[in-house]
Amino acid sequence: MYDYIIIGTGPSGGNIAHNLFKAGANILVLEAGKLMNKKTFPRTEADTSARLYWGGGIEFDTDAKMGFLRTRVVGGTSIVNQCLLDRFDDIAFNDWKAESGVNWFTNEQLAKHYDTVEHALALHTFTANEMNRNAQLFTQSCDKIGVKWGYLRKGQSDCAQERGNDCMACLGGCHRDSKQSSYAGYLRDDIAAGLNIQTETEVTQIVNNGNTVTLHALQQGKPLTFQAKNIVLAGGAFGTTKMLLQSGFKKQLPALGKNFSTHPQFMSFGLFNEEIHAYKGYFQTVASKDPNLRQKGYKLENVFAPPISAAMLFSRTGAYHQEIMRNYTRMTCIEVAVRDENAGEIKVDNKGKLTIDKPFTAQDRRRRDEGRELIANILTNEGAKKVYASPFSVGLHLMGGSVMGTDSAKSVVDPEFRVHGYKNMFVADSSIYPNAPGINPSLTIMALAQKLSDQLIGANHGI
Amino acid sequence: MASNYLSNSALKAINRIGDMMIPRNGEFPSFSEVGGIAYIDDLVSYAPPADIKDLNLLLTILAFMPNFVLRWLLNRMENSMESSGPLAPIFRMLDVGLRGLIFSCYYTEKIPASYTGKKPLDIIGFDLTRVED
Ligand SMILES: Cc1cc2nc3c(=O)[nH]c(=O)nc-3n(C[C@H](O)[C@H](O)[C@H](O)COP(=O)(O)OP(=O)(O)OC[C@H]3O[C@@H](n4cnc5c(N)ncnc54)[C@H](O)[C@@H]3O)c2cc1C
Repeated sequence: MYDYIIIGTGPSGGNIAHNLFKAGANILVLEAGKLMNKKTFPRTEADTSARLYWGGGIEFDTDAKMGFLRTRVVGGTSIVNQCLLDRFDDIAFNDWKAESGVNWFTNEQLAKHYDTVEHALALHTFTANEMNRNAQLFTQSCDKIGVKWGYLRKGQSDCAQERGNDCMACLGGCHRDSKQSSYAGYLRDDIAAGLNIQTETEVTQIVNNGNTVTLHALQQGKPLTFQAKNIVLAGGAFGTTKMLLQSGFKKQLPALGKNFSTHPQFMSFGLFNEEIHAYKGYFQTVASKDPNLRQKGYKLENVFAPPISAAMLFSRTGAYHQEIMRNYTRMTCIEVAVRDENAGEIKVDNKGKLTIDKPFTAQDRRRRDEGRELIANILTNEGAKKVYASPFSVGLHLMGGSVMGTDSAKSVVDPEFRVHGYKNMFVADSSIYPNAPGINPSLTIMALAQKLSDQLIGANHGI
Repeated sequence: MASNYLSNSALKAINRIGDMMIPRNGEFPSFSEVGGIAYIDDLVSYAPPADIKDLNLLLTILAFMPNFVLRWLLNRMENSMESSGPLAPIFRMLDVGLRGLIFSCYYTEKIPASYTGKKPLDIIGFDLTRVED
């Protein structure tokens, strides 16, 4: 019988497993994905989608208009993410407080947890000489138009830029262990030191017996059961919510599955006469940091996409497709990330398959359209000959579904991270986000996980 | 060319649809000329068995469609983002699924040695540098 079983190893599960392991707790970590490392991460874009992502690359909403990305591997989605780590501002926390009734959602209350996480990871804030041509054109144009921008902060230790490394490769897992995924940042050394982890093990059902919890799982198709005094669900917005839904908790928890948001992103490309090579070097160093846009509910990110993803962003094939791809190295790219309403719902159908309802509300549309218009303006001012706006939207920040709040009719998890009504089931991952913060979510996921870790270690007198 | 997961008709359908989506044009070779489909098992083997079964069925149906029907279908798929109605989500899903397969087998480092032309990734100028210690 374990004291704690932690399910999932993304920014939340990785942090909690690390803290409990260091504190000497009797824990087991279960992860649906494989254990990979810098030598075994996929080396091609197509292999990355097939091997690392749930759904073989992408999952869709029921209307098939929005795609969602999340991974299944030790380290969770932090293996493929850009690891841009931002603290929330007062706007985000005030909106969380208003929605959830949780009064410790403040920068002051979370400061020490942010500090602990930031101290544990290698962080780097980009500088002017690290911008590639895509970023230079973006910032010059923003300056002309009067849009404020800033340098991004990324979790990374040594990306070997001076030796010509291209960070786009790390979208399939960092082959240098530089990116501070929850694997490189927390779990790699713990696993080497004997952390008890079972991989390729998907939890399918949770049975709460009062003082203990039984987990039913499939390990490479083989059924297994595990017992613990406590469990920590860290499967992410889809994973955690799905486990609770398919275990029948919806009856007691009517809000289960609701309040899903995802910061939908829409990319636009600008075509230039000169060679840009936007995929080279650090391909994401700057973004809009404009209070005006923050208030309007969207931000602009200076990004790029590898070839298959870039091709996927436009439905038209044949000559149109070939025109875009022929000009791949002469394109710049900006995306608008919308701070969307939490109107989505995560459900499970009678075959146990996830179904996601994600209405794109009138407010979401307005924000997207305004953002797109501004992007077209920026690209044209940069000198783009032509602008290609992708009709597709992708959700990379999956949030909500098992949201935190004081009212069990409107939320799933209480302010002490317990599933309402269950003293031994905890959640501190992206599923507890009450609404979309409009800010990169990972650092705050880790800060919340840190808070829960401190709470669990404290409650057990250091374990 | 054979697959452990997809039938011969399914593979034929991928090549036919691939050539409609990416015909030979200027410096671009056609989809089937490149032959990246030889490595399709690397992608499909990670999918759940039920999904592979559905894919085989779908591709087998498409394999038997005459060219003009297939072209009509691709056209519906291409315009599906703007369309509404009960079938629109199905066309959108098909669009992303098929384009995903085709582009993954075309913009790839894994191309059989029998293809001696310029690789699509070289044509578009994609040359990623990985510095590994
Ligand atoms: C391409 C991309 C770029 C991104 N860039 C950034 C960025 O720059 N900054 C930022 O802040 N955020 C970014 N994000 C989002 C960020 O990565 C996620 O918000 C974050 O990883 C969520 O953390 P999590 O711990 O809640 O879930 P996840 O990281 O998704 O981890 C959940 C883990 O649980 C496992 N799991 C799920 N269900 C089960 C089950 N039933 N049994 C066992 N295991 C299970 C999964 O396999 C997974 O490993 C990005 C995302 C993507 C896709």
